[in-house]
Amino acid sequence: MKKSAVDAVIRGLKRAGVSIVCYLPDSLFKELYPALDADPDIRTIRVTNEGEGAAICGGVFLSGKRAALVMENSGLRASVEPLARMGLGAGIPVVMLMSYRGELGENNWWAIPHGITMEPVLDALRIPYRVVREEEKIERAIADAYSWSYASYYHSAVALGGEVVR
Amino acid sequence: MKRFDCMKALAARLKDELVILSLGGSVDEWYNAAPHMREASLFQQQLGCVTPQAFGLAAGLPHRRIVSLDTDGGLLFNLGILATLGNEQPKNLLVVVWDNEQYLSIGGPPTHTAFGRVDLAAIARGAGVEDAYLVRTLDEFDAHCKAGLAAQKPYIVVAKVSGTVQPDIRRKHSDGREDKYIFVRHVEATEGITIMGPSEHN
Repeated sequence: MKKSAVDAVIRGLKRAGVSIVCYLPDSLFKELYPALDADPDIRTIRVTNEGEGAAICGGVFLSGKRAALVMENSGLRASVEPLARMGLGAGIPVVMLMSYRGELGENNWWAIPHGITMEPVLDALRIPYRVVREEEKIERAIADAYSWSYASYYHSAVALGGEVVR
Repeated sequence: MKRFDCMKALAARLKDELVILSLGGSVDEWYNAAPHMREASLFQQQLGCVTPQAFGLAAGLPHRRIVSLDTDGGLLFNLGILATLGNEQPKNLLVVVWDNEQYLSIGGPPTHTAFGRVDLAAIARGAGVEDAYLVRTLDEFDAHCKAGLAAQKPYIVVAKVSGTVQPDIRRKHSDGREDKYIFVRHVEATEGITIMGPSEHN
């Protein structure tokens, strides 16, 4: 990611009031994670799998602080169980920011499943999402996701693809 | 050692804390063992989510003591949280694991702790949570709860309890959604904050 895109993500998170970010690092967001770690206004929590991160974000919601789960889109599959239980069972929302691995243009065979499954899994969980491939739309997309999740008390997602992450 | 007796001992030590607890029979037992903590307890039905949620709550409210009432099956579902706690070292989180060596809520098939090899407290210590103890008596349990509620680093008590549910106790009637509203309103009132506020227009 370009520094300007990293800065746009952090501006979006701050505009939404996020102070805690849970992440499991990936390669497309490689430049984002150290920037989050270095930001004095954001506490980062490194997790062992994205489902654990989703549950931690749910706990942060209950505290009144705002959290984000940042990950590769493969992490969505690892998060399905806690997302379904928290979102559909209790109305505890998690906002996710994920890299769009496996979309057209992908040249790694192992990433193809991520592209094929991401949008159907989001649809199966009835999670609204926005795919952003233009840097100038990142900040607004993140802020919009929080507005929606704090009106619906349900999960939402922003997937960054295209030239934003490549 | 009976879980219900342990709960009553722990409940007697709690006042301003917030509790996240696991599924199954422990829900109704905690509802009865700690009636003064009902609004301060989030009753969840999520294997593997309880301690991560409690840690998230602890991260968001660092001045408040958080108690996770987890289970052997629940913790085994996501052992990774122990490594996260080991690295993050929250100063305000007590984790109690009711280890009855079975999936009690579905009739009692054994968990991995039932065969004498798997020690959840030892796994926790290996993951970096130094204060992790396995207890078998009510006195030990109570002493560790006292220490854990005052600790300035993560504290885990794995309580070996029998696989029985306290008979003739009142069932909790609410579902997860109602429980969340009750808990959130309690956090709002006691913290003086707004978590689920009004919409722009009504």
